[in-house]
This record gives sequence, C-alpha cells and structure tokens, in this order.
Amino acid sequence: MIWQGLLVGILFGVVLQRSRMCFNSAFRDVKFSKDNYLLKMAALAILVETIGFHLVASLGFIKLNPLPFIPLAQIVGGFLFGMGMVLAGGCASGVTYRIGEGYITSILAGLSFGITASAVRGGKLNFVNSWFGKPITVNLQDPGIYNAVDGKVNPTLATLLGINPWIIAIIWAIILAIYIWGTKTTERQTTGLNYITGGIALGIVGIIGYLSQKTYALGITGGWINLLRATTTETSYNWIGMEVLGIIVGAFISTLAYKEFKLRVPKDPKTYVQVIAGGILMGFGAGVAAGCNIGHVLSGLPHLALSSILATIFFVLGNWFMYWYLYQRKQ
Amino acid sequence: MDVKPNYTLDVRGEVCPVPDVETKRKLKTMQSGEVLEVLIDYALSKERIPQGVKEVGGEVLTIEEIGPSEWRILIKKL
Repeated sequence: MIWQGLLVGILFGVVLQRSRMCFNSAFRDVKFSKDNYLLKMAALAILVETIGFHLVASLGFIKLNPLPFIPLAQIVGGFLFGMGMVLAGGCASGVTYRIGEGYITSILAGLSFGITASAVRGGKLNFVNSWFGKPITVNLQDPGIYNAVDGKVNPTLATLLGINPWIIAIIWAIILAIYIWGTKTTERQTTGLNYITGGIALGIVGIIGYLSQKTYALGITGGWINLLRATTTETSYNWIGMEVLGIIVGAFISTLAYKEFKLRVPKDPKTYVQVIAGGILMGFGAGVAAGCNIGHVLSGLPHLALSSILATIFFVLGNWFMYWYLYQRKQ
Repeated sequence: MDVKPNYTLDVRGEVCPVPDVETKRKLKTMQSGEVLEVLIDYALSKERIPQGVKEVGGEVLTIEEIGPSEWRILIKKL
C-alpha cells in the first residue's frame, strides 16, 4: 500500500517537473500577465479527473470522498494559503517538486509549511480549528457513489441540489472544455509537456492516485504532516506521506534525466525569511481549510465539492492580493 | 548573434515570479532600441518571458543555454 504511494508520487513528481505546473503561477498569470497557459493545463487536468473520478466511482472501484465543508475555514484559511504561496514562491505542490530541482528556498518553504500544518492538525495549534466551526454535512438516504459516515456526506453541488452527480459532472466538463478549446491560448515554446499533454498526464495521475489510495486522490498537506510525524515520532508512514516523498524523488530523477538539476540560491537574505513566512501561512491555511491547492483544486474541484469550490475562490483571491501587494502596488 | 547588451539583469536563484517581474520592470525603463541581457535559471520563466515581455514593448532576440538549467536571454526594447 505505501509503496504504491511512493510510485504514484514519483509519477506525479515527474509530470509536475516536466509540465512545470504551478497553481501559484496559473492564478497569477491569468490576472496580471493575461497569460492563460498554466490555467488551461490545470483546467484540462480537472476535466479529465471530473469524468475519471465519477467513472471509477460509478464502476464501484472507489467511493467519492469530498473534503469537509467548513465555510469560515475555507474562506479564512483559503485566503491565507493564497497569500502564502506568493511569498513562498510556489503552491504546495510547486515548492514540493522544486525541492527535487534543487531550490534551497523550496526546502525551507516545504518544511515550514509541513511543520505548521502538522501543528494545526492535531498538534500544538489544534485549538485554532474550533474558531471555524464544525463541518456542514448532508444526510442522504442512498449515498450512491459517495462515501457516507453514519448517513452523512460532505456536500457537493449534486448532493446540495439532490440530482444525479453525473449531470453536474458533465455540465462542469463542458464548461471546462469550452474554456480550454473555445478561447485563445497564450503562445509558449515549452521544452517539456505542453498544456494539453501536461493536463492529460496530470489528470491521469490523479485517477491512478484515487484508485491506489482509495480514500482520496492526490494531496500534499496530509503527506507533509505524515512525513514529518512518521520520521520524528512512532507514527507509521502512510500512502500520502510516501506520495509526497515520491514527488521530490520523481522531480529529482526528471531534472537529472533532462540535465536541469542545479542548486539554486537567491542572493538577497530577505528571500529566505519571505519563503519561511509563506510556508507558515500556507501551512496554517491548508491546515484549517482541509486542503491545499492539490487537495482542493486539482483533486477537489472534480468532486464539485462545496468545500473545494469555496477554498479555490479564496486561494485565488489571496494569491491576487499578495501579488498586487508585493509587485504591483509601487508601480 | 552579435548584439551588445546595454544592461544585464542576473536573476539566477530568484524565486517565482521575481525573474519575470524584474525583467518587465527593467524593460519599462529602457529606451527604444536598447538591449537587455537576462541571466536566468528558472525554466518556467524562461519559457514565459518571450510572450510576457510583449506587453511592455519587448522582443526576445535569442535564448542561449549557458549551463545546466541556465540561460542567457537577449531582449530588445521596440
């Protein structure tokens, strides 16, 4: 089981490195550079996963497990996470795979992210979760393709409206397809995967991840928490901890194979402080919001989970606010 | 290509999106016809810059690999 997590992680790390997918860049570029390249790659991955997750759940291989809906946590945590990823120079998956590329700042951001998230989820900062209230669930007579605990399911658009999840999934996939193929794509000469091959590859890795882990698709936050806890205490390593380790290993193998490995160090010492502060904000935000950009955006939006939709909106707003504050305000 | 750059910007080691931001900021201050040399080791920015500099009146002349994951980009202000 856990070796599968490592293998999926390695695959994910290779795809992230070759596609250069970063949600921090995707959100920012579309607003401040009128560049939709990475956002379209993400949209295609989400499209593939929307169909894929519903399909493998309908075939009975998995139960869909939308993340808990805690509105205040997803608003506040989401905004803090969005601000944090600008300071850290990458989203949760971005800083993780860039460790494998040789970014010293990413090691600092990743560790401060993991330590803070670990403190928020069952550690010394666990009390902060009580500020945000309890998850809102829906009671379903027949949970169908969803995972139910005592008849309660974490809400999605389909369970909220009480309709067949496939209807929402197909409408969502069509909206994404119109965006991807119906609007002009920013030109880019890539040396790795382009937005089509990268998006499809990311989506497939997500489906493989769900089939392997069973309880959920890909994630970063829980993986960092497990990796740190299992290394420093008696806790055992789990699937998601191994997946995060695999991302670093996979990105490292990929950078070596394509001769892109280099230890990279910024010249200004302030950058180190900035990325650590970013990691702390991200860890706090993802810790309370029940997920980061992978848990909520890449893996959560395909569920059409209310938690993930709300968190994604505030990741984007936090990202735009901090980018404006750091780079646009003084011009 | 034998172009003498007027300015050099070394953004090697900088975190995302500093290479893009610094390059565009510098280009904004430059006169038409001047050339900026950017030393960069961040692949995403290297691929994003040719399109990105167009909005500030820049045009990428060449991208040359000068080492492992290191490039020298020459950008002309139009």
